[in-house]
Amino acid sequence: MIELREAAIGVGGRVLIEHIDARIAGGEFVAVLGPNGVGKTTLLHALAGLRKPLCGTIAVGGTDVAQMAPSQRALHVGFVTSDEVLLDALTARDVVAIGRYPHHRWWQWDERPADRDAIDGALAAVGLESLAHRLVSTLSSGERQRVWIALGLAQETPILLLDEPTSHLDVRVAHEILALLRDLAHAGKTVVCVLHDLNDAAAYADRIALLGCGALLALEPPDAVLSSDLLERTYGVAMERVTLPSGGVRVFAREAHGAGTAT
Amino acid sequence: MIRFAALLLTLGLVAAAGILVGGTPLAPADVLAALLHPHAQGDVATIVWQLRMPRLSIAAVVGASLASCGAMLQGMLRNPLVDPYLTGVSAGAGAAIAIAILAGVSATATPAIGFVAGLAAAILVAALARRGSGIDANRLILAGVSLSALFAAIVTLAIVRAQSNDYATAIVAWLAGSMAGRGWRDLAIAAPYALAGALLCVAAVPALNALRVGDVRARAVGVDVGRAQWIILAASSLLAASSVVLAGLVGFIGLIVPHIARRVVGSDARALLPASALIGATLCIGADAICRWAVAPAELPIGVLLAFVGVPAFLYLYLNAERAR
Repeated sequence: MIELREAAIGVGGRVLIEHIDARIAGGEFVAVLGPNGVGKTTLLHALAGLRKPLCGTIAVGGTDVAQMAPSQRALHVGFVTSDEVLLDALTARDVVAIGRYPHHRWWQWDERPADRDAIDGALAAVGLESLAHRLVSTLSSGERQRVWIALGLAQETPILLLDEPTSHLDVRVAHEILALLRDLAHAGKTVVCVLHDLNDAAAYADRIALLGCGALLALEPPDAVLSSDLLERTYGVAMERVTLPSGGVRVFAREAHGAGTAT
Repeated sequence: MIRFAALLLTLGLVAAAGILVGGTPLAPADVLAALLHPHAQGDVATIVWQLRMPRLSIAAVVGASLASCGAMLQGMLRNPLVDPYLTGVSAGAGAAIAIAILAGVSATATPAIGFVAGLAAAILVAALARRGSGIDANRLILAGVSLSALFAAIVTLAIVRAQSNDYATAIVAWLAGSMAGRGWRDLAIAAPYALAGALLCVAAVPALNALRVGDVRARAVGVDVGRAQWIILAASSLLAASSVVLAGLVGFIGLIVPHIARRVVGSDARALLPASALIGATLCIGADAICRWAVAPAELPIGVLLAFVGVPAFLYLYLNAERAR
């Protein structure tokens, strides 16, 4: 479980979001939405304990995440980012194996059966078994994205945070990944995921955290968050909401002349 | 395992050649007898145990230290152009030794002065590169390059201002890198520091592996990146300072051996560091043997030989491999 109490987050002394009070329970899939630069990634860093909140507290499983030792924190929270780095002679499996770091003491160098199971399971979950021994530098950006997700899965933490995990992925793989994340959440994991596509969030998330105007504007089920007015105030663009026969909702940005554009 | 066996075998063969080669030709049987009876009397035993074995051991320590140090720093900074002297160790030691030579300090004291000054320079560079609880990679490179340039200017000034040619020659000889005249005593002084560096190096292995995917991901999997950076910096400073004391400036090994080792065993630090150490030791022993044999009874500076032979050979291998991709 993640709990934020009067938390404020920012970068370089600049406050991005303040007065955040929220509770995310185990087994929930929460999508974080908001315009560019609003502080979605910074919030995720704070939840992961990689950046201290400017004030207030962020607790993971009842403990202030900022006070946790790095090795302790990494057993509770996994963080997946798609930032590119220069990868020299690393195979997909090498990268995913790094997710097992918090499960070892510094003198334990060998891969144990539990590590092998976790690594192979993570690679299988993202459909990369056949590419496990390929150099990451030779993979497509979408395949690399799946490697990063597998790294987070191999960490086997009860909480998984993901920063735009579907960027670079084609429609089919993006939906497979989102379905996987939803299944992981429904199996008991807490999944918090920054997304840009409002309809992906509507289709898969249990709740949506909408950030805008320096605040957490809503943390509610998609049906409650994806209202035309709220989205228009947040993104500054007119939105049209469509209710599907299944009961789900989808939203589309309206251009000035009324033509609809899928978000 | 097969690759490590091949590396060990190569090291053994090169070490054997290193003992046989030198100003005085020795028969393999005599060398073997001297090795089996370390306390035996005679010219061969003296040459083997008092001249060639210490040289070979020093070359092995210098090569292994510089190569593993280069592998660690390149891994930590994720920059293939980094070498062990980035931390300012060699430039700081060089400036101090040049000043000591000019001041007429005894030749037996200069290595210790170089060691202390080298470590002091590394601490200064690290202090300038500090950000938060860790090290900023760009600041480290900037501070290392800037201070090294300043220390190099001091060395140049010392050579220009040297009152006698002997002083200038002594400074240049140190800059060129050489193990001439070094013995067990020098090794005994430097070895504890090299050993301390090696132990820190071992402690850094898991963090080095995690750092391969970037600082943010390394932190996310639980690496205390700041602490890991300080350990790596301390290890590399101790290793580089030890080798500077033993052999002066020996280039090429620390920069290029990690690239060769990566091609042989990959980038996993568990294999990369020992492979770098083995290849570095092998190259250094081999190069030292050639330096002693090529113009005997005189000697070539090892730094010069490594640059002339090693750099073009590496570039050829590297560019060929790139074309093959």
